[in-house]
Amino acid sequence: MTAAFLDVRSASKHFGGLKAVDDVSFAIAPGELVSIIGPNGAGKTTLFNLLTGQLAPSGGSVHFKGHDIGRLRPNQRARLGFGRTFQISQTLTSMSVLENGMIGAFLHHRGLEAAAAKAWSALEQVGLANRAAFKAGELTLGERRRLEVARALAMEPEVLLLDEVMAGLNQTEVQEIIDLVQRLNATGVTFLVIEHNLKVVRAFSRRVIVLNRGQLLAEGSAADVLANPEVIQAYVGKKGM
Amino acid sequence: MTEFFNIIAVGLLLGGIYSLVAVGLNLIFGVVRIVNFAQGEFVMLGMYGTFAAQMALGFDPYIAPVIVVPLLFALGCAVYWLLLRPLQGEPMMQVFATFGLLMALENVVLAVTRGVGYSVNSALSQVSIKLGPLQIGLTRVIVLTAATAVAIALGWYLKTSLPGKAIRAIAQDRRAARLMGINVDRMYMISFGIGTALAGLAGCLLAPLYTMSPQIGANFIMPAFAVVVLGGLGSVAGAYAGGIIVGLTEALAGYYLDPALKQAVLFMVFIIVLLVRPQGLFGIAGAEEVGLREEH
Amino acid sequence: MKNTETPTMLPPGAYIRTLRRELPVTAAVVAAMAALVILFAGDSFSLNILATTFLFAGLATAWNIIGGLGGQFSLGHSVFFATGAIISANLFLVFQLSPWLSLPLVAAVAALLSVAVSWPVFRLRGPFFSIATMALTEVALALAIYFDRFTGGARGLSIPFRLGLENMIFRDRFSYALLMVGYLALTLLVMAIVTRSRLGYSLQAVRDNEDAAMASGIDVLRTKLAGMAISAALTAVGGTLFLMFVRVVDPPTLFSLFDVGVKVAMIALVGGIGTIYGPLLGALFLVPLESYLRAQLGGSVPGGNLIALGVVLMLTALFLRRGIFGAVQSAWHRLRRPAL
Repeated sequence: MTAAFLDVRSASKHFGGLKAVDDVSFAIAPGELVSIIGPNGAGKTTLFNLLTGQLAPSGGSVHFKGHDIGRLRPNQRARLGFGRTFQISQTLTSMSVLENGMIGAFLHHRGLEAAAAKAWSALEQVGLANRAAFKAGELTLGERRRLEVARALAMEPEVLLLDEVMAGLNQTEVQEIIDLVQRLNATGVTFLVIEHNLKVVRAFSRRVIVLNRGQLLAEGSAADVLANPEVIQAYVGKKGM
Repeated sequence: MTEFFNIIAVGLLLGGIYSLVAVGLNLIFGVVRIVNFAQGEFVMLGMYGTFAAQMALGFDPYIAPVIVVPLLFALGCAVYWLLLRPLQGEPMMQVFATFGLLMALENVVLAVTRGVGYSVNSALSQVSIKLGPLQIGLTRVIVLTAATAVAIALGWYLKTSLPGKAIRAIAQDRRAARLMGINVDRMYMISFGIGTALAGLAGCLLAPLYTMSPQIGANFIMPAFAVVVLGGLGSVAGAYAGGIIVGLTEALAGYYLDPALKQAVLFMVFIIVLLVRPQGLFGIAGAEEVGLREEH
Repeated sequence: MKNTETPTMLPPGAYIRTLRRELPVTAAVVAAMAALVILFAGDSFSLNILATTFLFAGLATAWNIIGGLGGQFSLGHSVFFATGAIISANLFLVFQLSPWLSLPLVAAVAALLSVAVSWPVFRLRGPFFSIATMALTEVALALAIYFDRFTGGARGLSIPFRLGLENMIFRDRFSYALLMVGYLALTLLVMAIVTRSRLGYSLQAVRDNEDAAMASGIDVLRTKLAGMAISAALTAVGGTLFLMFVRVVDPPTLFSLFDVGVKVAMIALVGGIGTIYGPLLGALFLVPLESYLRAQLGGSVPGGNLIALGVVLMLTALFLRRGIFGAVQSAWHRLRRPAL
């Protein structure tokens, strides 16, 4: 059996007695677009933090292209091809929008002008080029989310982890992001997306992973998973969706 | 052996001084989340206030707190409201602001006193207590006793009184506290005022022990930071215990190594604790909000 | 539009100031400062103030690399300043080594020292980092006074008056003022290079948000250490120049929190933290102001100059957070950029 592209084995993260992520295993093939859903507090963001190295795992391992990356720091994983956005947007507020993009672009471009060019094209892709000269701190919440996507895009990642990027965006913006994700996915970028909006999930991902209380509840095609009584139970039990 | 007990006694009494200064600093640290570099100058003001009370009113230093403590409470409230409240969420600007305050206060006193070294007399200055083979000055014992009493009283106040509970609630989660209807700005102001008043009290009690100079605050602030970091952010018991530890460390290092190196040893211990256990020996949660890094 | 890698294809919105575009500005600024020195030639009182101004402008510029760009508010730069002065003094006194030749050495030693002490201390953030650097200053001062064979203890070291360019000892203040312009030029050049490079951008990213920086592939610790090493090396060079300027140095002065450690940070803050030319503006404002106040108030109001500085510091923190340079810059931006 060849090693999977991204292979998560029994990943666990405990905060004191709380098992935020508990023995979660799954594998992602290159070029997939997988949604991770689950009620609030299910452990989705913690799982992301384990994948990108923001948190040290309590147990389990993460393999990327056959290498154990569980001990690597976030910047080392970024170098391997992990890009991400944060649930609570983390922009570089005192720097300009263009410079935020450049920070991502510097991963593969040393020169300022090359990085600026890369950042500019990433900003164009998310529709923020007209804001390039603004300070990131001056942007609206929706713009900040798109800026984070642009920064991640400028890193030319192999795997892109998006943590609720649609939250706070309007209908048009959501559609633009969906189009962008699908376009990039078609060029070979693998996506892991945490998403609350089940309509969005249905619209674009073939595969869905459901977390509940830190554990993997279900996994499969969007249609199957969303029809799964346990999943409905978990959602309806939490909030009426 | 007598020698050893003597050093321990010296260390404990020194520890009392540091505890007394650190308790107020730690309250400000733990609740208002401000690193107040000017805390030593509040102590200095307390000392000069004691001197002024003796000159003008003939007060004994141990009666001076009646005037000095309320005055410094008011000063603290004013400093918080005018200087620090506008800088909430800007920890580095607060560092600069309190540093500016430190420079201004120190030199205002220098300008007023023209650098003459004052000292105050107390009826109790000459009294000493005999404890076995040890001779201990009563004034130092009073400081240690006062530090103990202040730590207990403050701990009790924070635990049982309504404002105390509000202060603790804010220290734990300011957003939640605000949602509960606590006026956070007001409680910050009061906490800062109490912290300043405690510095004033320390100044009164230390006035008989030192010849005053406008720069004397600097002698207290670094050990007080060491105490706070050692004892743990926001912990009253921690500040007390930390003070004793710092006092003992200084006394022991001074005797067994070299008096010239006691400062160096003290701060090395301080830096090591800061690195190894940044939340301090008695630290409470939430320290990272003031600028400590979580472990990855 | 496809990914364009050639700079000439950059759209106007993606304009950034590169080092090539920055250097003429830096050169013009340095030339203006040299002209200022020439303007006051013969007036030793003013030249003395100018020399001090440019020395502190250079020191503040050096501090600004890690303090401003990197957001690590060190209050312990006096340690590196003293390192430069003490090593150069010993080499000069014991081996008659020209201070010019000891400059690269003190820069290297300070860089290594800064990495060694900062490695653990960079685990601390914000005010805690500042406190730890303050504590380091205290440790260093205590050690310097204890090991008085190298530092002269509390009495200090004095450099014999051996006139000559090779000894960096001049009779006239004009030469010292020019020497300090040279130091300023060096620090501005390094600051410009750092600012207009990936390192400068990384330092700013680390300052703004360590998590975002890390997720973007930036090695946070290494970035901070690089910034600190460059900053410390330049500060040590300033220490050597200070030594030759005053020729008598003692540890309490060299390690002084207020006269060095806090002052350089303060000058950078008042001028404009994180900007290339802000610290120079801050020094041009503060150093002459302090000299003037000291001359005016020194006798009648002891400490009056420091009261004024304390007030300036508080007011800057309250109302001018981005300093003089920042205020001018945002006014300029408001003029140029139409509201959208």
